[in-house]
Amino acid sequence: MVEAVPTGVRAAAVIFMLLVLAFVLGPLVVVAGVSFTAGDYVTFPPEGLSLRWYRAVLSADVYTHSAITSLRLAALVTLAATVIGTGVAVALHRRRIPGTGFLSALVLSPLVLPTIVFALGLLMLWSSVVGRTSFYSLWLGHTVIAVPYVIRTTLAVLATSDPFLEEAARTMGAGPWRTLFHVTLPQCLPGIAAGGFFAFNISFDEAILSLFLRSPDIMTLPIQIYTQLEFSPDPSIAAASALMIALTIFLIVAIDRLLGIQRVAA
Amino acid sequence: MTMAAVELNCVTKSFGDVQVIKGVSLAIRKGEFVSLLGPSGCGKTTLLRMIAGLEKVTTGSIIIGGTNSTRLPPERRDIAMVFQSYALLPHLTVRENVMFPLRMRRLGRKDEQQRRVDEVLEMVQLGHLANRRPRELSGGQQQRVAVARAVVSRPQVLLLDEPLSNLDARLRESMQEELIQLHRQTGLTTVFVTHDQEEALSLSDRVVLLNEGRIEQEGAPTDLYSAPATPFSASFMGSSNLLDVQIEAAKGAPCATLAPGSALPLEPGCAAAGPATITFRQEDVQLLPADAEEGILATVETRLFLGSRIRYVITAGAHRFRCLASPGHSFAAGQAIRVRIPPGRIRVIGRTLA
Amino acid sequence: MASHREDWAIAAPGLLLLLLAFLVPVGSILALGVRTEGGEFTPAYVIRFLTEPYYLGISWRTIKLSVVITLVCALVGFPFAYIMARVGPRLRLWLVILITLPLMTSVVVRTFGWMVLLGRGGLVPDIMRSLGLVRRNYTLMHTEVAIVVGMVQILFPFMVLSILGVILRMDPRLEEAARVMGCTFLQSVRRVVLPVATPGIVAGSLLVFTLSASYFITPSLLGGARLPVLAGSIYETATRTQDWPFAAAQSLILFTAVLLLLFPYIRLTRKAGG
Repeated sequence: MVEAVPTGVRAAAVIFMLLVLAFVLGPLVVVAGVSFTAGDYVTFPPEGLSLRWYRAVLSADVYTHSAITSLRLAALVTLAATVIGTGVAVALHRRRIPGTGFLSALVLSPLVLPTIVFALGLLMLWSSVVGRTSFYSLWLGHTVIAVPYVIRTTLAVLATSDPFLEEAARTMGAGPWRTLFHVTLPQCLPGIAAGGFFAFNISFDEAILSLFLRSPDIMTLPIQIYTQLEFSPDPSIAAASALMIALTIFLIVAIDRLLGIQRVAA
Repeated sequence: MTMAAVELNCVTKSFGDVQVIKGVSLAIRKGEFVSLLGPSGCGKTTLLRMIAGLEKVTTGSIIIGGTNSTRLPPERRDIAMVFQSYALLPHLTVRENVMFPLRMRRLGRKDEQQRRVDEVLEMVQLGHLANRRPRELSGGQQQRVAVARAVVSRPQVLLLDEPLSNLDARLRESMQEELIQLHRQTGLTTVFVTHDQEEALSLSDRVVLLNEGRIEQEGAPTDLYSAPATPFSASFMGSSNLLDVQIEAAKGAPCATLAPGSALPLEPGCAAAGPATITFRQEDVQLLPADAEEGILATVETRLFLGSRIRYVITAGAHRFRCLASPGHSFAAGQAIRVRIPPGRIRVIGRTLA
Repeated sequence: MASHREDWAIAAPGLLLLLLAFLVPVGSILALGVRTEGGEFTPAYVIRFLTEPYYLGISWRTIKLSVVITLVCALVGFPFAYIMARVGPRLRLWLVILITLPLMTSVVVRTFGWMVLLGRGGLVPDIMRSLGLVRRNYTLMHTEVAIVVGMVQILFPFMVLSILGVILRMDPRLEEAARVMGCTFLQSVRRVVLPVATPGIVAGSLLVFTLSASYFITPSLLGGARLPVLAGSIYETATRTQDWPFAAAQSLILFTAVLLLLFPYIRLTRKAGG
């Protein structure tokens, strides 16, 4: 069938794919390009090459502080989301608690419902129940939208594992909890890792919830960039952005090295 | 008090409104190899899973090694099970898989556990693969790991859920032999679920034939094979010839009348006169030329050459039946012949309802 | 294995989190949109949104932009997904990663990239000027085109993955059969692959439409203050004018529209997945 594709169509297909990829990845390439400029202004192609804007970013407190805040937040969100999400995924996968189908749709709903509505609602509820927004309100909000990713990736991995493993463990003398820790969770690991990657990435890049739920003294990296964008873009934004892109790519490569991306992308 | 290894008393199982096990009682002796045989949906796997504790018992009781285990969770029953998919833990090595039940059941000290694992791995000839992971093994090797993992804890009863069905034909034969040998070596009480009647017959001390949640017939393999008690038993045990006939008690020896003037002689005293169903095996049918002295008149309908044998479909009056003959003498389709069946080979299995 | 208490135990933290930190806040903000200060039911805020021309304009722009974004995604996404389905699995995987990479970078980062490309003196206006299409100092920033471009970039993978799933499940012999029966290559794509892929295209369109209606940072940065969309208007109302009930009423309208589109989406994906 592939052999029977006319050469013209084939060439057109290659050109089409390259154009689409250029469109989709163009802005990221541009950001990376701008970050290496030697000039004072945001221009593409860059004027000369230098690392001066990286030096500027890494020595500017506004960037380093917000980056540390974002990393800390992302790490805590990853921790909470993987622990919480894995439990839900395992329980849903077993299909023994009533209303499993309904619950699955429900727990995945933060993926598709408008984040802005959720952000507004959580801000209102937090203000009336807890009071001032803080690092913890951010942690809570980010965790809620990160958990569904962990659930989804873990469910995907569980769906491909042998459905009789848990029963086999029971017949070999393992009680329900030892079955969970010795048999089920080891199976889930690739899914948990992939979910953890998404959780970290979502939290680290998130801007909508952060706009609502942060307190004035807490600045995450995306919010820092956002305010600079509205204010006075200079190439240091490009350098900070390029570092964020690099972190994402690094995480993807790390996942691939550790687990093999095929197993995770399933 | 009987000292059966496993005892089922009037066990039933319902899923919602549907009763899938309708009162099964069975006592399995220590060291016995029992097969639960039946078509898919007959309840054999459900019954096995109830013994394992993986399905709840609706009513009745299950006693394992003298302990009423009806309400015990699987991990507290003295059992081991081999799953159809083997259910080897993919993140553990072969050795760790076999060690797993000993660790979970806390059987013996660490060095003792090691020794037992090595022993069992040698028994299934997998000592050299102990540090591999399951996915690096062939299907037959995985199967042997699953068996080793099941026997290592020396359970009261070993449960096997169609463990050979994922293997190809040749491997299945050699695994059957290994299973028999293993059973002889370990002396473990074994319950073996299968839908393959040959497998059940060749492996077991006793075959329990299940049909629609009930025991249809149980007994030694030879009994089930040669003396099916019901039409279901007869057809499931591969005796595909079931004929509704009229039994006539002529001159002391009864015979089965297929059509006016053509009757098969039966053993004396095997049935009363009246309508009945008879069964006989394909290989017991003898075909003779049309001018032979004995036998009833019949016609060859089709002839299928199978290599070592020839299968004929024979019609006699309104009846059709199959015959498996050696290729020594050959008849063509459409040819008139005579058919003889030794009286001792015909079973009368109850009156027909029609 | 009596009551599966352990299943409830391991699911409980997640279910509680979802209930208390997601359903309750979302529910209470929606309720706020149809309540007076005294707590009685009032449709006043909703009616205000549905009658004031300024807000009707916002709704209209949101719908118009979402339709255009969805159409572009579908038109480009179908051939892209088809080609992806016909390349090797390793290349397919990397294509998936490449098209989802923008989605995995921060919204502010990729929007910054578009600002550089589309703004005054940026690469795209420069090329357009050298082709004689536009005058000096032309900018694509703060136009609806910029919003569409920026949104298509991130919503494109949702469309592609949704179509890809359906095409991958299709029996490739269907195409061979069509060719043997006399179709040309393009005819077989149109008459065999396209009908098979239609559920995927529809599901992808519903998803892209709802997502494009609920994003606001990309539209507000690329479109600017003169081109507000519904989600952006909610943000403005809540933060600038602090009119919470009215922001809630707008949330309710957005939420209802999204839900209405998600139900057929869930049905479609269930069927395709089953």
